[in-house]
Amino acid sequence: MSTTHAKPLDLLQGTLDLLILKTLALGPLHGWGISQRIQQMSASVLRVNQGSLYPALHRLEAAGWIDAEWGSTEANRQAKFYTLTRSGQKRLRAETDEWERMTVAVTRVLQTQS
Amino acid sequence: MWTRLRHFGRAVMHRQTVTREVDVEVRFHIEMETEKYIREGMLPDAARERASRIFGPMDKHRADIRDAHGITWADDFWQDIKYGARTLVKHKGYAVLAVLTLGLGIGANTAIFSVINGVLLKPLPYDHADRLVLVRQSAPLSGQATVGVAIAEYFDYRAQAEVFDGLVEYHQMNFDLINRGEPDRVNTGVVSANFFDLLGIRPLIGRSFVASDDQHGSEPVLLLSHTYWRTKFGGDPNIVGQVFEMNDRPHRVIGVLPNVPHYPQENDVYMPVLSCPFRAAAERTIPQNRRAFAALSVFGRLKPGVTSEGAASAVATINQRFTADHAGVYRIATSGFQATTIDVQQALTAGARDLLLILLGITGLVLLIACANVANLTLARMLGRDRELAVRAAIGAGRARLVRQLLTESALLSLAGGAVGLVFAVATVGMLITFVGRFTQRTGEVSIDLPVLAFTLGVSLFTGILFGILPALGTRVDLVLALKQGSNQAGAGSTRRRVQGALIVAQVAVSVVLLVGAGLLVTSFYRLQRAETGYRADGVLSAQIYGNFSRYGNVSALRRLYFPILERLEGQPGVISAAITNAVPLAGSAPGTTRFDIEGRVTDDPDRRPAADVRVASPKYFDTIGIPVAGGRVFSDLDSEETQPVVVINRSMARYWDGSDPVGSKISLDRGQRWLTVVGIVGDVRQFGLAQETVAQIYLPLAQSPTNIAGQVLVRTYGPPEGFAQLLRDTVHAVDPNQPVEAVQTMADLRAEALAAPRLTATLLAVFAGLALLVTLAGIGGVIATSVTQRTREFGLRMALGASRSTVMGMVLAQGLTLVAIGLAVGIAGAVAGGRVLSAYLYQTAPADPLVIAAVVAAFLLSATIACLGPARRATTVDPLVALRAD
Repeated sequence: MSTTHAKPLDLLQGTLDLLILKTLALGPLHGWGISQRIQQMSASVLRVNQGSLYPALHRLEAAGWIDAEWGSTEANRQAKFYTLTRSGQKRLRAETDEWERMTVAVTRVLQTQS
Repeated sequence: MWTRLRHFGRAVMHRQTVTREVDVEVRFHIEMETEKYIREGMLPDAARERASRIFGPMDKHRADIRDAHGITWADDFWQDIKYGARTLVKHKGYAVLAVLTLGLGIGANTAIFSVINGVLLKPLPYDHADRLVLVRQSAPLSGQATVGVAIAEYFDYRAQAEVFDGLVEYHQMNFDLINRGEPDRVNTGVVSANFFDLLGIRPLIGRSFVASDDQHGSEPVLLLSHTYWRTKFGGDPNIVGQVFEMNDRPHRVIGVLPNVPHYPQENDVYMPVLSCPFRAAAERTIPQNRRAFAALSVFGRLKPGVTSEGAASAVATINQRFTADHAGVYRIATSGFQATTIDVQQALTAGARDLLLILLGITGLVLLIACANVANLTLARMLGRDRELAVRAAIGAGRARLVRQLLTESALLSLAGGAVGLVFAVATVGMLITFVGRFTQRTGEVSIDLPVLAFTLGVSLFTGILFGILPALGTRVDLVLALKQGSNQAGAGSTRRRVQGALIVAQVAVSVVLLVGAGLLVTSFYRLQRAETGYRADGVLSAQIYGNFSRYGNVSALRRLYFPILERLEGQPGVISAAITNAVPLAGSAPGTTRFDIEGRVTDDPDRRPAADVRVASPKYFDTIGIPVAGGRVFSDLDSEETQPVVVINRSMARYWDGSDPVGSKISLDRGQRWLTVVGIVGDVRQFGLAQETVAQIYLPLAQSPTNIAGQVLVRTYGPPEGFAQLLRDTVHAVDPNQPVEAVQTMADLRAEALAAPRLTATLLAVFAGLALLVTLAGIGGVIATSVTQRTREFGLRMALGASRSTVMGMVLAQGLTLVAIGLAVGIAGAVAGGRVLSAYLYQTAPADPLVIAAVVAAFLLSATIACLGPARRATTVDPLVALRAD
């Protein structure tokens, strides 16, 4: 295990959807792949709670932001692949904007000199 | 939204598949995770164990995933239904009362709707029925709403109108059909050869009419109706080709119609137009008489794409053309003769439409009252449920979930009510069909079918939501309060009481509207029943003997049939007198409008002459039917063809003499060719309906009648006239064994028949209003009783402080009667505003009759007081000590 990093952070409430959408914007992926990709992209800072991943995926699918299809992995195993839909892309842009406004605001508050 | 719905649907429908897919997906994830740990150097078992642990408990995730799909919602739904059913079984009294109340309301609506569906909504059972239109001629300036189409006019429409696929004529005749020596009077439809093709009716056996049947000189042919074939010939398959004598000519049966409803009238047999001797003779006189045989109904099928407006204007144009070409015949300036088209379906149902819609409105109101009552019952029951609901809320049921639970219960109740209502509707629809059958011929198609079932289901669900939503809105329970305190003081009590009060006011108001309506109809019926008809109906038997033209083709031949019958009848024991006329009172005909001149006062313009209804009567007619003589004399046996022509007039007619005595003066019906001496004046008679005002009438003696008449025999008897039916038949057959005797009935029956429709209308509305009143009173009683229970402590306290029993009783009564009074005020305003829809059904009764309204108010206050007395008395029996200690 890495010694250069602190203990991985659990995701903030509500950010999981955003990260899933962002991950799928790079291409179709199955559930496990999504969790690995988030961990990689965040340089192992973020850890996806695996128990909440699948409910989130099904919720996003029910909302029509992502589509699911059964397919084969490189190792020829059956897996459910998720892709971003057109309305999912819109949603991603909206959520990204919101996230940026939020972080800017939070940072500004934190940087205020006391 | 759509995507969500699709997912939800898939998840609910294929929940097994979805669950399996989730399992496969999760297993794949754990395997991948395990392999990752193995790659990082762990042992397989340890790797698998770690992967599973990190993933977490499988069951919880599965539930979360199902939640994500919304499947929980469907699961909860079943749970709600099971729970609701259990609750209702536990509270049987409430459930049974609610189901019965709703059942009555829904049943009444279902029955009425099944009739509306069959009569007004269902298309006619013919090809392209929506394109069938009737050519309707009228002469508004001379007061004729419909004028039959004459043969020449029909030919003009048929030749010139380009909007029709086909245009056919129809009229009905009565002929004797000689079936193996036995004469049988048959209703005969006389129709164009393409009549059945136009309607799309193909014969069951044999062939239909073809163009060659409709030519001069072709053999007379017949089509039999299905019913006639079955009843008279036992469904004989060899009927086609048989020959029967009609009108002294052989007629060959060429086919049998299938069992379909007949339009415009039911008939036993059908013949092509030239087989009808009258129609054929009239066609030959067209050159002299353009208006020959103006008795046709003409209807046609519009070409596709032709609008009804287009058809109406095409017909109107043709009408204007031929009336202009024959201005002397039509006298447009004084008759206003014109033509248009109307939908056949509309024409067939016009008489029933308003009545049915009024009935639907009434049953709708009854249902609303039932809803309000069940809502009140539910509210009252909620008092006892506050605790239960609070407990459920405390263990985590959301408010939405509680509301849904209550709605599920009300839906269960209303569906059960719908089932009861359906039984109720099936049981009563027959009665309703008989009733509506008096106003339209379409009742044969009424049945409890799919659209009706859908209606019942829809109404049930709608009422369930309607009466469920109100109590559900009151579920904003204060948890802490409800759990801490007893159920009596819990929660949203005062809101609930306000809702209950409002419901009572609404129920009272609607009931008042119905009661006033029923009161008006009953009053009107009472007055109609007592209407002075001008004759004595009791003790008189009547029958029809239509001397068939083939044997009694002229008036003297007819007299040789009629007078011997009268002579023989009068010699029979038990017969006081006997008479023959051409139409008995209340037999359903419309008044004739024969114009006449009074000698010495002849007007120049023939269209400005006064008009009267002309009847024919034998000497004893006025005695037999009990019409009083007001002056002069009536006919005697001495009036004959050889003596001076005489008439008797009625009082309404006598008004044309402006106060001077008409007896002795002369009138003419033919512009002065023959002058008839007025010898007597008799009383007015309601000939055309009990509610119809009398018109001027002229009676001609049977012995001097210039034209053939259909004979209506009347016999006044000692004792009940019903017993003389066989004697009457035998007497007629003694004169002519081949003469059919039809429609034997007493004049009292005829009068009762004329009263049947208003009686049923009044009865129906009275029953509905009575139901509404009962349901409302039960509601008032229930609400007051609940409120007394709630105020036990207060009453106990008051009585402990010295309030008398009558004070307490007065308080309770005041609470109930205040609600009733508000409801009465609202209801009377509504009744006065809405009473006008009934005005067409009222006889000598104003739509806002003060007597009726006063009676309704009195009856309501009295019965409401009685309904409140029980709970009020209970309030006074409260033991102050017990009440103060309670809870």
